[in-house]
Amino acid sequence: MGKKTWKYDIIVIAVLLSLTLAAYIAVRLAQDAKTPGGVAVVTVDGTERGRYALNEERREQITLADGAYNVLMISEGRADITDASCPDKICVRHRAVDKSGQSIVCLPNKVVVEIKGGEKADVDLITQ
Amino acid sequence: MKDKRIVSAAIVMSVAAVICIFAFLQRGGKDQTQNELIRYNASFLDVFDTKTDIVGYGTSKEEFTAQVEKLKEKLWEYHKLYDIYNDYEGISNIKTINDNAGIAPVIVDKEIIRLLLCAREMYEQTDGQVNIAMGSVLSIWHEYREQGIADPEHARLPERKELEKAAAHTDINRMIIDEKASSVYLEDSEMSLDVGGIGKGYAVKQVAEYAKTIGMDNVLISVGGNVCAMGTHTDGSLWRLGIQNPDTESEEEYVQKVDLEDACVVTSGNYQRYYTVDGKRYCHIIDPNTLMPADYFAAVSIIAEDSGEADALSTAVYNMPYEEGLAFINERDGVEAMWIFEDGTIAYSEHFKDYVADTRTQ
Repeated sequence: MGKKTWKYDIIVIAVLLSLTLAAYIAVRLAQDAKTPGGVAVVTVDGTERGRYALNEERREQITLADGAYNVLMISEGRADITDASCPDKICVRHRAVDKSGQSIVCLPNKVVVEIKGGEKADVDLITQ
Repeated sequence: MKDKRIVSAAIVMSVAAVICIFAFLQRGGKDQTQNELIRYNASFLDVFDTKTDIVGYGTSKEEFTAQVEKLKEKLWEYHKLYDIYNDYEGISNIKTINDNAGIAPVIVDKEIIRLLLCAREMYEQTDGQVNIAMGSVLSIWHEYREQGIADPEHARLPERKELEKAAAHTDINRMIIDEKASSVYLEDSEMSLDVGGIGKGYAVKQVAEYAKTIGMDNVLISVGGNVCAMGTHTDGSLWRLGIQNPDTESEEEYVQKVDLEDACVVTSGNYQRYYTVDGKRYCHIIDPNTLMPADYFAAVSIIAEDSGEADALSTAVYNMPYEEGLAFINERDGVEAMWIFEDGTIAYSEHFKDYVADTRTQ
């Protein structure tokens, strides 16, 4: 009798462990696939100013010492610069970014929004 | 018998589950096995007034950062030497040469001499399409562009007369290089050098070579539109680059993927530096024949072993009608080109497809 209980205990434990593992993997995969795990890291002249999770909608004004600014919008898992004081507006015209390594650069204001973590880009670098 | 099998299966399953959980936990944490090379990247905005990206491998973040600092220092040396707008204490640069046009030869660093010799060579090879002695013309456009960007409502084009007058002082043969004395003299006091069409590409190649000497055998260096792919990934797979979509608002970030090993790709385009007059876009690349911004394409990318050559060729081909550029590139060994027209159409030189990620024979 004792022997048999032990045997079934093992089976129950194994099944539980496997289920836990399966659930863990499933949750993890679901996370990777659905919620963008990335963050938008904002740097001004090389110094980090802030990092914002891509899964939270927000509007962030990055203001520089001289009054210059860039407006960062995070919406639907993507980061975009929607307004800026720079003369060329190249950053504003740039597409929204959401993949690891992608960035939006504002050369006049020395502001960079770069995505870290999250979905991987399928190239090492984009030529400029 | 059957029970036994169930028990062993259960044990195997539990062990497997435990191992898997550990593997997952490890993957999540910062696992760093000895001697394992980790991929790092760095970027900065100051050198050459553009964005520099460096992707490489190292055993630690500290090691990689130290190496990147060395590359950055090297890039700054080239930046200062090739600068036409600023003076630097204790350095004779291109501006010094320009300031002394018609006055006296200037003794300069060997890296200036090498660049100028390379530029003269490219002038000959491109039938004058790449002319670093166009400074007088380029500076006029530079001024109008800066004003036009700062005050778009009043953006104007330079007067034809003004451009033609300046164009009379663009004879590259009046740039006298004395290799022995390591000096440069501009005979024409009205002429000036502008190495914008070749300097960055040349510098990136030199810095990429330097990277090897400090133990960076597998590195990707990108300065502005100039990318050098040295070696491969540490697993032997090639570096994969996306060629930027000139339409920067489009959802598609790049229009083509190329795989490179010990090769460079340089792009000339009208989407980074330009200004708009009466709704028309005028880019920073000036055609020596018309003295006007070239407008055949949105962008031209060149693949070559040397990014100095690629930089000069991308400028040259950007200034040529497609058929002419195609014939010009197909005649050259080891050089390929990709043209992106304003409407998004793409054309390739004969063997460009050998580099394209999806069609390349593995």
